[in-house]
This record gives sequence, structure tokens and C-alpha cells, in this order.
Amino acid sequence: MATQTVTANRSTQDLPPEQKVRAVQEAFADAPDAGKVALKNILKDLKSELASRTGVRTESAGRIGLRNGKVSELTLIAPFAPGGAERLRTVLNMLDGDFRGAEKVGTVHDMRFVFLDNDTKMLFATAYDGDFDPYIDDFGTKIPDYMDVVFTAFEGWPGIRSPQIKDWIAAHMVPAAAWYVASPNLTVADTRRLEKVGKAVDELLDKVA
Amino acid sequence: MATQTQSAMESKSNADVAQKIQKLREAFADAPQMAKTALESKIQDLASHMSEPRSRMESAGRTGSRQGKVSELTLMLTFAPGGARRLRALLQAQNGNFDDADKVGTVHDMRFVFLDNDTKLVFATAYDGNWDPYIDDFATKIPDVMDIAFSAFEGWPGIHSPEVKNWIAKHQVTAEGWFVANPNLTVTETRRLEKIGKAVDELLDKVA
Repeated sequence: MATQTVTANRSTQDLPPEQKVRAVQEAFADAPDAGKVALKNILKDLKSELASRTGVRTESAGRIGLRNGKVSELTLIAPFAPGGAERLRTVLNMLDGDFRGAEKVGTVHDMRFVFLDNDTKMLFATAYDGDFDPYIDDFGTKIPDYMDVVFTAFEGWPGIRSPQIKDWIAAHMVPAAAWYVASPNLTVADTRRLEKVGKAVDELLDKVA
Repeated sequence: MATQTQSAMESKSNADVAQKIQKLREAFADAPQMAKTALESKIQDLASHMSEPRSRMESAGRTGSRQGKVSELTLMLTFAPGGARRLRALLQAQNGNFDDADKVGTVHDMRFVFLDNDTKLVFATAYDGNWDPYIDDFATKIPDVMDIAFSAFEGWPGIHSPEVKNWIAKHQVTAEGWFVANPNLTVTETRRLEKIGKAVDELLDKVA
């Protein structure tokens, strides 16, 4: 699935802009009117956007998932084990967004837990630095217990110390078909450093003012 | 007096923490052994975290969660006939280069995830501020792009419809856990900082 998506992206990304536009137009032949009209409105923009393509391209985040510059996406959907939804909800309510574990890992940009289908499944979606393998390794090394507290809520979780752990995670992931990051060149650590630099510059400017 | 109030507050907050820990242990009473062991090894950490909280999760307004300046929006959508194929064609042509999201200026990240044999899609984004002005921004700045992408879904009323916010809110599922590494920075602030960082590096190179 991951390979398919990435291959599909690669196969179209090297086409000339006119062909890309034609492919989109063909796909919209049976679209509702709102879609067709809107496509017509932006066609010129789309062409120039495709022709001036100098920005960061979407790549693979390694084993699975997409990466844009330095920032990757991981999207996981897993069925809850009996009692798991209630346990996880208790943990999340208690933490109230205060995820020191994720801070400690240091490569998590953002992360969400979304309960689906009457608390039978969960969607976990995160934006993180770098590639899939070292990211999962980091969790296993830095916050193994937090991982087990949270993820034992799901059916078949083998335990963070299990050699099967990456297979379990990858099997429950659904790679995004498209992934956008506003500042793709900044890791979590880069941004934190810049926040400090910004403050220092402000203080400096205050002093010379 | 001030000290008394403070210590009274402290003991109240300690009692709150003890109560929360108790609730957590109860919730884990029927958990697998692995979870119980992991919980016990972290329980002191959790207690100390709770007594000195970092930023909190709040509401992003009508729906969704916010942490600091950054909110989450997660939509579960059902494709209209042919919609999945159209959206894939569009996304593949764009290949991660969303100039339009750049134009809106408040989108931190955004993903499109096709589910269940291309019958459904998860759209998940991290954005600045609250729900209403965010949706307004999309409608004002990139209405056509919204119609192109979202006409792929069943019942999309069109970005100019007075029903559009109701439609979006109805398909949104609020995250019950939401973490942001740098909750005090908007997209614009981060971009400004990136420029400042470069300028400072150049300056330091010159004086070196």
C-alpha cells in the first residue's frame, strides 16, 4: 500500500505540467458542477504552480508513511482491546494535553488521539522528524513504559520491547496519499532553538534601542 | 495570609493529583499485566507532571481541540461516486506542493488518508487559532480549491453555501488527546523566526 502510493506519486511527478493538468481534467469529467467550475477557475494557477515546481517534494518516510522535507506523517488506525478505550480515555483526560513523554522523545511536532466508531477504534496521527525506523526506535528507547501504558489499549499490541513491534505498527498504519508541512525544513529541535534565538534578538534590539 | 492561601492551594492540588492517580489505577485494574507494570513504573512521574502542568488542552471553538495557539481538525468523510479517483488525480498532480495552503497561511500541516478501499477519507490538519476564522479563511482565500477537493465527498454543499460550516462540523471528530511541541508559535511566527535565524547566522559569520 505504502509502496503503491509512493510509486504512483513518483510516476506522475516527472510528467510534464501539461500532462499532469490533462490527467486532472480527465478525472474531473464526471465531477459535480461545483468541482468542474472550480477546476476551470484555478486551471491557470494550477498550470503555473506545476511549472514553477521548485518547492519541497513529498517523499517516502522510509518503511511506511510520507515525508515532506524533514517532517514525516504517521497515521495509524487500531481496534481497541476490551476495556482499552476506557483506559486510554482516563489516561488522556488525566494528561490533559500535557505529554511529557512526547517532549522527551523530542521529535514529535504534533500528535492526536481520535476515538472512532463508538469507541471501537482509534485514529492516531502524528507529525514527526526524520524517518520511520529511527522514530519508532526513539520511542522504544526513551519512553517504553508510556508506550505500553497507552498502546496496550489496542488489540494485539505486542509490547514495545517485542521484536514484532515495528511490524505491528506498520501493519496498522495507513500512509497518507498527500502530506503538507508549512515549514518542512525545521525539526522540533530547530524550531525550539529558533524560538530562543528570536527572544535573544528581541532583547538585543531592546537594549540598542 | 498569602502563604496560608498558597499552602491551602497546594494541598488541594495534591489531593486532586492523588485522586487522579487513584482513578487511573482503577481504570487499569482490568488491564493486561504489561500495562499495569508500565503504569506503576511511571506513576511517580505522572504525579509530578500533574502538579506542575505545562500547557493544557482547550477547545478550538465550535469543535476540535487546541493547545496554545495550535488547533487540530480531523474529518471523517465518505466519498461520492468517482470522488476518490478525482481527488487522487488532483493530489498526485500536486505532489505535496500545496501553494494554496501556503496562501491561507495558518496551516501547520495537513494530510489526506484514503480508507476502506477508497470509500472514505481522513483529513487531518494542525492550524492556527480557532475553528470559525480558520474555515472563513479557506472560504475567502481559496474557495475554488476547496470546491475542487471537497466535491469528492458525499453531500458537500459548496464552499459558498451557508451550510458549509455545519457540514464540516458534522463530519469532524474532536481529538481527545492533542499534543503540540511548540504551542506558542503560529505558522507565520515560525517562518519569521526561520528568517531571523538565517540573518543571525550570517551576522555571526561576518563578525567571526
